[in-house]
Amino acid sequence: MNIQPVVRDAATAAFFDGAARGVFLLRRSAESGEIVTPSAEQDSVGNTDLDWMEASGRGRVVSWAFVPQRVAGSDSPVELTIGVVELDEGPWWWTQLVGVDRDAVAEGLRVRAVFPKSGPAETDEYVPVFAPVADESAGPD
Amino acid sequence: MTELGKVYGRSSSRFAAEAARLAVADAGLLLSDVDGLLVSAGVANDVGLGLQVELGLRDLAVLTQMQAFGSTAGAMVQYASMAVEAGMAEVVVCVFGDAPLAEGSGAGNAYSDGHRTPAGWAGIQRSTGAVTPNVLYSLAARRHMLRYGTTSEQFGAIAVAQRDWAVLNPLAQMRTPITLADHQNSRIISDPFHLFDCCLVSNGGVAVVVTTAERARDLKQPPVHVLGWAQSHPGTRLRRNDDFGLVTGAARSGPAAMAMAGVTTDDIDIVEIYDCYTYTALVTLEDYGFCGKGEGGEFVSTPGNLGPEGKLKMNTGGGQLSSYYMWGMTPLSEAVLQARGQAGARQQDRNELILVSGNGGILDHHSTLIVGS
Repeated sequence: MNIQPVVRDAATAAFFDGAARGVFLLRRSAESGEIVTPSAEQDSVGNTDLDWMEASGRGRVVSWAFVPQRVAGSDSPVELTIGVVELDEGPWWWTQLVGVDRDAVAEGLRVRAVFPKSGPAETDEYVPVFAPVADESAGPD
Repeated sequence: MTELGKVYGRSSSRFAAEAARLAVADAGLLLSDVDGLLVSAGVANDVGLGLQVELGLRDLAVLTQMQAFGSTAGAMVQYASMAVEAGMAEVVVCVFGDAPLAEGSGAGNAYSDGHRTPAGWAGIQRSTGAVTPNVLYSLAARRHMLRYGTTSEQFGAIAVAQRDWAVLNPLAQMRTPITLADHQNSRIISDPFHLFDCCLVSNGGVAVVVTTAERARDLKQPPVHVLGWAQSHPGTRLRRNDDFGLVTGAARSGPAAMAMAGVTTDDIDIVEIYDCYTYTALVTLEDYGFCGKGEGGEFVSTPGNLGPEGKLKMNTGGGQLSSYYMWGMTPLSEAVLQARGQAGARQQDRNELILVSGNGGILDHHSTLIVGS
């Protein structure tokens, strides 16, 4: 895993609060019931009455890329796996996939959000990355 | 166009001014004839309205800065054509200048958008690594591979064919032929992309002059007619899009532009396709209808289809992969040279109808032009 430190702003405060307690938050219109990506300010037809909702934090892999990265002060390159995840509630999320075996990544691979701290500073937030689900029947973990 | 490529010590704005002066002189016009100016810059967004003063252009009837990323060049020609048709202006210069390459710094740094992670939403994706065009386009390409069985070797066929064209182009930055093995052995940038799947990064400026057909007849260069155009902006950037990587804005923009010109793919003599990545050219060919959806991989890798001896004359200057990367001005400039019959060793006899594509963002913006000699 290789995460860069990120800090909150007013628009992301609620989302990062959720991440800090291990919950992936999405937004839902009270009027239409449509569930949208957490950065959205409206649903697809313009309703702005969005409430935060706790999502399952689970989804499936839509696409992925293996990205070699040089690490400062080291000769051994690391390889990140960057992916697109379709959340079970519908929205897609561009993210890092962690703990995945290169040969085991596949379209539809079940994954769940985990929330590492993005940096050592107190203001560095917890961010969602996605790891394979070992046992789907085990429920939330 | 100015000197292109690893040309240092000049700002984007200076490249743009130089390109505008060269284009106006090339047309046999004076700067005092210009009454419209559309300016566009690269990622640094550092060519602005000040270009008017730099060029000494007085009392312009049309002036604006445009930004639709790689689709801008095509879009500028569209708006310039409409301004000319409407009688709003008579001589409109469309200019692009960019200087992302710094001496002593790798091309990879030019588009990596720095190391500082911004706060908030933009920072979340950045912090987990889903950042650069290389990564985001490779996610699109992977999807095409998964759905249609497209392979890295098929992407490589485009890289090899375009290098063969670049060998014939003195303007091209990369003129040494490559093989499919060279493509496969080039280093991984963002798997599935190898280095040779990715466009160059270049400094320089390119400009075109748009005027009435009547005025163009008397000018120094053979006129290139703008026969059809369209744009498409899907509006799905980093949002759910079940077509992601599979179908792009080209699927709307291409047929609309061809309909406006009253032509079909069968009529097109030359295609100059935006090829920021090999994959981009492949998916655009499908969306335009030069082959069936999902059949692009087989089409580009079938011997006899691409390259200087191939049936489809695509990216005749080597494209952004091998000639120079001036965003949408790369395909447009090569189309103009071909339409005028000035493409030297790579000149095509059949050059009456040329299709030009532009693509920007992560397949977020598309423009198409049909131009003719």
